Amino acid sequence: MSDFPREEKIKADIEAKFGGAVSNALVQRKNRVWLDVTTEKLPDLMAWLKANSFDHLATVTGFDEGENLGAYYHATDTKLIVTVKVKTPRANPSIPSILKTFPGALSYERELEDMLGIKIDGLPPGRRYPLAEDFPTDQYPLRKDWKTEDYLAQQAALNTEAK
Amino acid sequence: MSKITIPLGPQHPALKEPENFMLVLEGEQISGATVNLGYNHRGMEKAAEGRTYLQNLYLIERVCGICSHSHTTTYITNVEELAKCETPKRALAIRTLFAELERVHSHLLWLGVAGYEMGFETLFMYTWRDREQVLDCLEMLSGNRVHYSINTIGGVRRDITPEQKAGVVQRINYLIERTNYYIKLALEEPTVAARTANVGKLPLDVAIERGAVGPTARASGLARDVRKDEPYLIYNELDFKLITHNTNDVFGRLVVRALELVESYKMIKQVLNDLPEGPIAVKVPMRIAPGECVNHYEAPRGEDIHYLKSNGTDKPERLKVRAPTLANLQSVAYMLEGGWLADVPLVIAAIDPCMSCTDRAAVWNPKKGKTEVYSWEDLRKLSIEQYRKRGVDFTRL
Repeated sequence: MSDFPREEKIKADIEAKFGGAVSNALVQRKNRVWLDVTTEKLPDLMAWLKANSFDHLATVTGFDEGENLGAYYHATDTKLIVTVKVKTPRANPSIPSILKTFPGALSYERELEDMLGIKIDGLPPGRRYPLAEDFPTDQYPLRKDWKTEDYLAQQAALNTEAK
Repeated sequence: MSKITIPLGPQHPALKEPENFMLVLEGEQISGATVNLGYNHRGMEKAAEGRTYLQNLYLIERVCGICSHSHTTTYITNVEELAKCETPKRALAIRTLFAELERVHSHLLWLGVAGYEMGFETLFMYTWRDREQVLDCLEMLSGNRVHYSINTIGGVRRDITPEQKAGVVQRINYLIERTNYYIKLALEEPTVAARTANVGKLPLDVAIERGAVGPTARASGLARDVRKDEPYLIYNELDFKLITHNTNDVFGRLVVRALELVESYKMIKQVLNDLPEGPIAVKVPMRIAPGECVNHYEAPRGEDIHYLKSNGTDKPERLKVRAPTLANLQSVAYMLEGGWLADVPLVIAAIDPCMSCTDRAAVWNPKKGKTEVYSWEDLRKLSIEQYRKRGVDFTRL
């Protein structure tokens, strides 16, 4: 029997409800549950979490895993944090939007688009965030192959001669 | 009446930091608002990937000028969790002390800004004068007013002496007296009530929907506080109340912050009275074991959450920082809609968006050809001298 009955129950409930879509579910320690889910099932899982007292989406972490790009959704009831991970192929990264469930996630989803180039299906049009208006739209700074030095070298205005 | 869209910001006298609000106006009333951010993006998450864990501590401290301790403590909690480090109890207590002193300084600052935005500038002058007391405490304990740099991986950098403890208690006693006056003022002064009641409404269901955090959420009756919900540091040993208010407006946010000050004073005294004995830091290896973790923290403005992934080297693989203001700005758009143009600065200020402050001035003197650094005493002397020339004597103060 585990030391963390509440965490184990949430893990078991999610596994029972979403079956094959969920993998690598893990109770890391008290108050921390981690799991992977397929991109298609993400909106359903987030809706289920919201209906089951995890009504605060603390943030979304974008992550460059190499072949795949990841997005980690940290949902919480302020006590227990459930981190839901989705993976999407680097060649054609796309994740469905969860704005229907969590309207407050707008800036987190824009950040995924801007910093990692993950296309969010269902994101309303609007101004980019957080990068500047004149930043190239085909460069994604949080990808591992994006180097600050390369970018700075391209900026002619910054290459002033040293006196 | 035809609609007109006006931009407020990114540079605007009513805003203390660059952000843009597109306001759709019908006459003086706001019918729609969108928030645009990103003017201050500094690429810190990318920068963190190229620096060691210890270097990042000083980078992360500069995420925010006011919540500097909040960000480093969240970051360091993650690092220590991955390194499986047993942080000494005394270090945790000192971190808690700094966390609460920081909350006091942040909330007093906010009371001043709120007073200023509601046209009650006397309150602004009073609270900022009193805030100097808590900044003096922080300077006495850490050597710095704003970026305290008290945290280090495995503990804290400075211990607290009995003399310092007495100095803090003396200043806190003064602040308790002042804060009771502010609470009386907030509850009885008709100017405050007239300017803040029913302004910037955020009902409970919208606060949950938009993910509001901190005093903004608690003023809408949402009993959410990481210190109570998932106690970190030594909060589970401290006796304090979770403050909520149910008016859902700027007045509620004022009351919540004022009452939280009282709770913070209580906690500061508890920590100082029961400061555990022992070492203040342990050694932690440069390389952090691979793994990932996520931790949150109740900063003065609300929940601050960090995600950290380590790959076994001395540099993090990924560090994600979400500061409380980002979570709260989604609620601001709602608060503005249906309100009046004249209320905009007050409503925006009511979530307490971040701004930096700094103390000492470095002056380049071209005649002498060198830089002179003025201390607080020097600046005070200069200002008294300046006023005396104009016939006003401040020497007695």
